Amino acid sequence: MTFPNGSGPDRPLVLLCECAGTLKNIDFDRLEQHVGLHADVLRGDHWCSRVGQAQILELMETGDGRQLTFAGCSPDFAARRFQNLMARGLQLEIADIREGCSWVHGGDSGAVTDKAGRIIDSSIAYPDALADTVSYAERRNTVVVIGGGVAGTQAAAELAQMGHDVELVERRAFLGGRAARIGTVFPTNDCGQCLPTTDAQAGTRKCFHRNVAIDHPDLSIRRRSTVEAVTGHPGDFQVSIRTLPNMVTDACINCGTCETVCEADSSEPGKKAIFSEFYDGRVIRTIDLETCTFCGRCAEECPVEAIDFSQSPRRTTVHAGAILTATGCEPAPEKYFDYLGYGHDGVVTQVELAEMLDDWAAQASLGRMPVEELVMVQCAGSRDQRHLPHCSRLCCMIALKHAIRLKALFPEMKVTICYLEMRTAGVGYENWFLDARKAGVEFLRGTPPEVQFDGHGRPVIEVEDVTAARKRVLRPDLVVLSTGMVPATDTEKLTQTLAIDRDKDGFVEILDRKNRATETSAEGVFVCGSAAGPKALIEVNTEASAVASEIHNFLTSAGRRGTAASQVDAAQCVGCDTCSTMCPFGAIMLIDRPESAPRPDEVKDDGKLAVIDAQTCRACGICAANCPEVAITHNLSDDALFGRIAMMTEGVEKPVVGFYCKECAGAAIGLSGQRRDRYPENVRLIELPCLGRVSALHIVEAARLGAAGVFLAGCAEGRCQYRTGDTSALEQMTIADEVLAESGTPLPLELWHLCAVDRLSVGRRIRMFDARAVGDELTPALFDHEMDLIGAGAGALAGAPAGAACGGGEGRGCGR
Amino acid sequence: MAVAADTAYPKAVVDEFKRLAEECNICYQCGTCTSSCPSGRELYRGPRRLVRLILSGEIEAVLKSDDLWRCTECGTCTEVCRMDIDVASLLSRLRKLEHEYGGTIRCPERTAADVAAARLRKQPRIDNLRFGVAMMVEGHFPKDKVGAAESGMKIVKQMLPLGGKRAAGEAVPAARGTTTLPFYAGCALPQDHELHALVHEVAAGFGVRLDEAADAGCCGHPSRGTVDSLFSSAERVYTACPACDASLDETGVEAVPLWNALTERAARASGMVLRASTGSFVPYVGCLADRDAALAALGVAAQQAGVTMEVDYPTLHNGCCGALGGMYRGATKASTRLLEFAVEKHAPVVTTCVLCRDNLRSAARELKLDVPIRFWPEYFRAVEYAPEERTDD
Repeated sequence: MTFPNGSGPDRPLVLLCECAGTLKNIDFDRLEQHVGLHADVLRGDHWCSRVGQAQILELMETGDGRQLTFAGCSPDFAARRFQNLMARGLQLEIADIREGCSWVHGGDSGAVTDKAGRIIDSSIAYPDALADTVSYAERRNTVVVIGGGVAGTQAAAELAQMGHDVELVERRAFLGGRAARIGTVFPTNDCGQCLPTTDAQAGTRKCFHRNVAIDHPDLSIRRRSTVEAVTGHPGDFQVSIRTLPNMVTDACINCGTCETVCEADSSEPGKKAIFSEFYDGRVIRTIDLETCTFCGRCAEECPVEAIDFSQSPRRTTVHAGAILTATGCEPAPEKYFDYLGYGHDGVVTQVELAEMLDDWAAQASLGRMPVEELVMVQCAGSRDQRHLPHCSRLCCMIALKHAIRLKALFPEMKVTICYLEMRTAGVGYENWFLDARKAGVEFLRGTPPEVQFDGHGRPVIEVEDVTAARKRVLRPDLVVLSTGMVPATDTEKLTQTLAIDRDKDGFVEILDRKNRATETSAEGVFVCGSAAGPKALIEVNTEASAVASEIHNFLTSAGRRGTAASQVDAAQCVGCDTCSTMCPFGAIMLIDRPESAPRPDEVKDDGKLAVIDAQTCRACGICAANCPEVAITHNLSDDALFGRIAMMTEGVEKPVVGFYCKECAGAAIGLSGQRRDRYPENVRLIELPCLGRVSALHIVEAARLGAAGVFLAGCAEGRCQYRTGDTSALEQMTIADEVLAESGTPLPLELWHLCAVDRLSVGRRIRMFDARAVGDELTPALFDHEMDLIGAGAGALAGAPAGAACGGGEGRGCGR
Repeated sequence: MAVAADTAYPKAVVDEFKRLAEECNICYQCGTCTSSCPSGRELYRGPRRLVRLILSGEIEAVLKSDDLWRCTECGTCTEVCRMDIDVASLLSRLRKLEHEYGGTIRCPERTAADVAAARLRKQPRIDNLRFGVAMMVEGHFPKDKVGAAESGMKIVKQMLPLGGKRAAGEAVPAARGTTTLPFYAGCALPQDHELHALVHEVAAGFGVRLDEAADAGCCGHPSRGTVDSLFSSAERVYTACPACDASLDETGVEAVPLWNALTERAARASGMVLRASTGSFVPYVGCLADRDAALAALGVAAQQAGVTMEVDYPTLHNGCCGALGGMYRGATKASTRLLEFAVEKHAPVVTTCVLCRDNLRSAARELKLDVPIRFWPEYFRAVEYAPEERTDD
């Protein structure tokens, strides 16, 4: 055995920890003697004690820069105990002989001490690279916010207050988005056109036109603008923005003369070609460029000369560090609910009802009731595999809001809500449901397949009253469809421009449904509000603030260190696209091979070369594991991995090798070790940064060295911290399985998905796998033992067939 | 899926229930299927409830449910299901299952008679008696339940002409013919004397003499005993009604649609030519028949007669004439589309089911659509052997 790092004066120094006498099955004298062969050993009762840490500090100050290896508890535990020293620059290589050895094994001191020796040896010989790190480059201070609705505007204002330059890009002429244009909103029953203020009167809220936060000097509003193209990389994007002229300048005093003389109609219903919309106070009127005839009469009549037809479209390129998508959602188009008679008289949507309600309120004040019977149909085209499979979340509350309003205006009106499920989960929402019931709204569980019309054109709804299990025939005067929401127009195009993923419903996909609601699949591109799915205003406001902090954090991360990127060896790379397609972060590009670059013999002059962007690379190792030419070097090199496998398995009879990622699987295994959940000593664990680092070669090598079985443990299913490490590992395991089967030496192989809750079960899983791999049947004694551990008691299931529980649990196995 | 393993049922049934549950476990119970069911306007509680019972593992309740047998397989429930569950096929598999494992094909009328008898037994009140009488006048009374309803029976028999026996003299056996086939007329055909005679006449045209039992009665219940005795020597029985086919098959008698046999015969016999009364027609085979076979028979006939069968009707295999248990319940979406299609094609509807003919005629009247609806003998005849030419348009 050779120790590349240890000889002569450069002998590594090992801090051997007895963990206050809790590692009873280790013979420390023998261990010290073994390690002492190639390293200097300092034994301590427990190094994390005040005295021990003082000694280490002294070593740091007086030491000669020798490699320090700590042999004791697990890396996670040690990192906590030595937190203060590490903050002062202590660099420790950690050999886990506690959770990873002593605590999980029985009383066979010889075998346990041997194993502890191996763990220390491999730590000394193949240290976890005291990694080169990469510092994040400076990121631009500018943020492009796409969408000037409540979400985008609020985030933009907050970002400006945090000191960023913000370009707020809004497709329409007016800010405010959908929320500002509708009437009252739930659950507060007031208008939706206010934003929180933070400056002048903190804690208050103000309408868009009164809110000075939007007028921050670093916040520039680009109306009638769209993002055309995006290039560059996270931290430095070049965003190309196209802006249509507004034609009406800010000299406008809102006298309305122009509208009275305009003869062309806008494509907006009921409006002239020069028109006004939601009043955000900054731009008052705009011109519909598609219908305007450019006759010029408005300009002639305008008393303040605020109309300027000489403006023309322009393109600008903005250099931005981050991009925020806040494009919102919009009501579903007709095709999703026309099966319910939409288009026929007597059938409207909730949006249309909202528009009618003001008029109805006027009628109510004159003592007139426009309709006697009204039926609302919930989930109209929503939660429907043939139309919109998703729940739009707002429709139930909108229906309740309208129903309550209707009953308030017209107590005699019969209002029925045909629902599938009423979803009123939100602070204060349930009260609305109760209020509606108290007001006399009828709730009928059941949704009709169609709306028919009788001879007089009156709607007829035949619907099963599910709770009563009988059919009802309703003959309302008006049917109101609670239709769903879809992503805003052009969301698909925008996501392509930004190269971000969409979910199956077409909304912007958030990076992580539990922890990262405001990030997208592309680094540096963020999302908030209804662009990622329909949301109520309270959620939109919360997300806007959250994303502002998130972006601020991202833009100010320059100088922070990340793990060193993997490297491509040009002399080996043949320019296939395996790595670039496998990389979950898009960090690998194929470039034309420079003349000067070395190349493998078979590569012609025009070959391509893979290049890894160090700023984007997360060092998961998936590319290195999948490279057919083994041309990529990860920070945990193949040599180190092969060396560790060899060192850990040498001299062990029927070793079982377990590769595990240091993230979720590492947490499960570490915590299981703290529970002292035992497994046999022949199980040899090898830690990886991500399970994606493992390649078929490593598995085959373990087999070649006599492994009786190999298991791979990664993060919970679908939750790989590096997105696709587990799927890569599964592919590699399948390849290894085929190779081993072909060579006539099949081996039990399994892939497990673990997370911290599996601390309770991973020990058993390892024991079971080990028993199967080494060829032990599940004996009644072993079975009873396991049942005891589970707490079911010995013999509770006496007579269960031997081997019944030995199938590897939920693991993805291809062993036999 | 929490399907309770009911040991009272064979494993195959329990397993099939598990499979069915897996297919519909995403059901939201929104009730759209029941809302859409054309059979559902009156006593039918709909597919939604059956799906719920499948999911809760109530095998007994599902298989004993009469609702199962009120389904006409029109397929509307499948069409409207927001979760893309093939509801109609679930129900059809359930019927098959019950049929395979000792159950019987049930008929809603029979159930009604059962209900009447049970009610009479419990509460011999005048309204129940009247209900029972009404059912019996219609010819629906279960032989095995007469004990309880005996008093009602007496009244009924006094009320019925000929003491409850149906006069059979109206049927006209064909005078000449080369083959004699045992024929079972069922209940519907003899009610239309003219049509009944026409069937015999057209069959004769094909060289077939129909040997008809004098008192066949209704296939479903009262005469079940007599069916066996009537035809015990015969290999098979020929019928002109898909409901009879199904019921007879159930009692172990092999029943063959007469029309299929006739067209097959015409195809085999050289020199036999079919003639049709118009140049094109819209076929309709209803819900009960073996649809593919019935449609194929119409297709063969159309070919032989040189007429066009308009088959591009969108829901040809999805039809419901609007009947439930033989009772017309109003035009359905399916029958409306069918009739509108026929109007558009200027073609009569030709059906292989005598019940469908009457129901579609009612629907056409209701919809004020001028569409001739023909039972097959009213449209096709074999000319070479035909005793006389006859047009009915």
